[in-house]
Amino acid sequence: MMNQEIKTTPTVKNGGRLFRNDVIFIVALLLVVSALGLCFYFFRGEGDKVVVTVDGKEFGTYSLAEDVKVEIRTGAQNEEVNVLVIRDGLAYMETATCPDGICADHKPISREGESIVCLPHKVVITVYATEEEDAPDIVV
Amino acid sequence: MKKRIVRCLLIVIMLLQSMGMVGCKTKTEKYSTYSFDYFDTVTTITGYAESQEEFDEIAEGVLAELAEYHKLFTIYHRYEGLENLCTVNETVDGEHRTVTVDRRIIDMLLYAREMYDKTDGTVNIAMGSVLSVWHDYRTEGIDEPWSAKLPPMEKLTEAAKHTDINQMVIDEAACTVTLTDPAMKLDVGAIAKGYAVEMAARSLEEKGISGYVINVGGNVRTVGVKGDGENWLVGIENPEEDGGQAYLAYLELSGESLVTSGSYQRYYVVDGKRYHHIIDPETLFPSEGYVSVSVVCKSSADGDALSTALFCMEFEEGLALVESLPDAEAMWVLPDGTKKESSGFANYKKETTK
Repeated sequence: MMNQEIKTTPTVKNGGRLFRNDVIFIVALLLVVSALGLCFYFFRGEGDKVVVTVDGKEFGTYSLAEDVKVEIRTGAQNEEVNVLVIRDGLAYMETATCPDGICADHKPISREGESIVCLPHKVVITVYATEEEDAPDIVV
Repeated sequence: MKKRIVRCLLIVIMLLQSMGMVGCKTKTEKYSTYSFDYFDTVTTITGYAESQEEFDEIAEGVLAELAEYHKLFTIYHRYEGLENLCTVNETVDGEHRTVTVDRRIIDMLLYAREMYDKTDGTVNIAMGSVLSVWHDYRTEGIDEPWSAKLPPMEKLTEAAKHTDINQMVIDEAACTVTLTDPAMKLDVGAIAKGYAVEMAARSLEEKGISGYVINVGGNVRTVGVKGDGENWLVGIENPEEDGGQAYLAYLELSGESLVTSGSYQRYYVVDGKRYHHIIDPETLFPSEGYVSVSVVCKSSADGDALSTALFCMEFEEGLALVESLPDAEAMWVLPDGTKKESSGFANYKKETTK
């Protein structure tokens, strides 16, 4: 549509510095660059995600957009388990074998920077949302 | 022809630049790391650096410093060849020894005494005997929830007889501490984290480093502003699931600290009721006045001590204390959800729809 608009507009007269072909060339270049930009955007932007770390090391990354249930196994014999559930764009700890159960009491999270911590099992679940205006750097 | 192509390319680049799509700023990225090794809580370091290596080097330095303070201030672990608060608390033949300690312990204890005076005794590191009773009952109650019990009042009142901070004798010149009441114990849980965070933050500042945040279990200290020169945006989590409101407050910080004491951070359950870890020195029971108290001030040590003190004080009394301090502001959240603020708290707030 953009192309057409420009074609039908007598942009530049002969005395001008730009010619019809220049305009077409510029528009074509712009289109190519924006197509490339879009490609980059789609390859990079996997949307809002939840990152799970155990004792500071990454355990896994999950999309907030896909419902999933993840068993986070820890302990010397993998005997401890926290069950992370992602449902309808919310992440929460469904159950946990930790003694205090504070992580399972925590409200579901979905916003940039929000996290659920299980101190006994050293598990941290953090939301990394796609860049939005005024997203917090830290949530406490 | 060549000229025309060059000219067209230039126009395209100019157009793209005006749209902010191309540019060549050296950009710093945001990095963060977690640790569970210090002060029985989670430590998060967030910072802007040009590379992972640069961030790691700085973060490791901060963690190493926190590790040292952790070893000095812990009352639960002894370390080979080190006198720390755990060994200060020990008795030999029913008496405490006079212990020669690291200068950093002396400085922290003197600071604790200062905060005792400022808060009219509400922050009292000599409460160890009472807090250890709660600690034992809480630990047992968490391990065996079906038999979770509250400590009997007689036990608490008996322990409370041994909480006189004046029985902590410090010889600054000799770097020694003596607890002259054999039944007394120190517990620096209300200030040690904040104090250690403040010291680690000052070390970064002395090195001219900025663009970092140290967060030890809710003791947040910002060091400078973000990598892009903007203020840090810090959301105070709303622990309740009440629909729309995600944050109790949304703050802009640039070098200050924010400390939140909350009843939802550490607790155990007895007969279906939660009992948290902030014990009121007057009632010897968890203080029930607030869901949380958040303090914004320069020093994270002050923030830690103040938030604990305010949590155990009547609102009017606490407000008077905050207003008497030049650089401290606070927000109280009451059990019914009402929020109260000191006069300057709003200056840190950022308008947001969140």
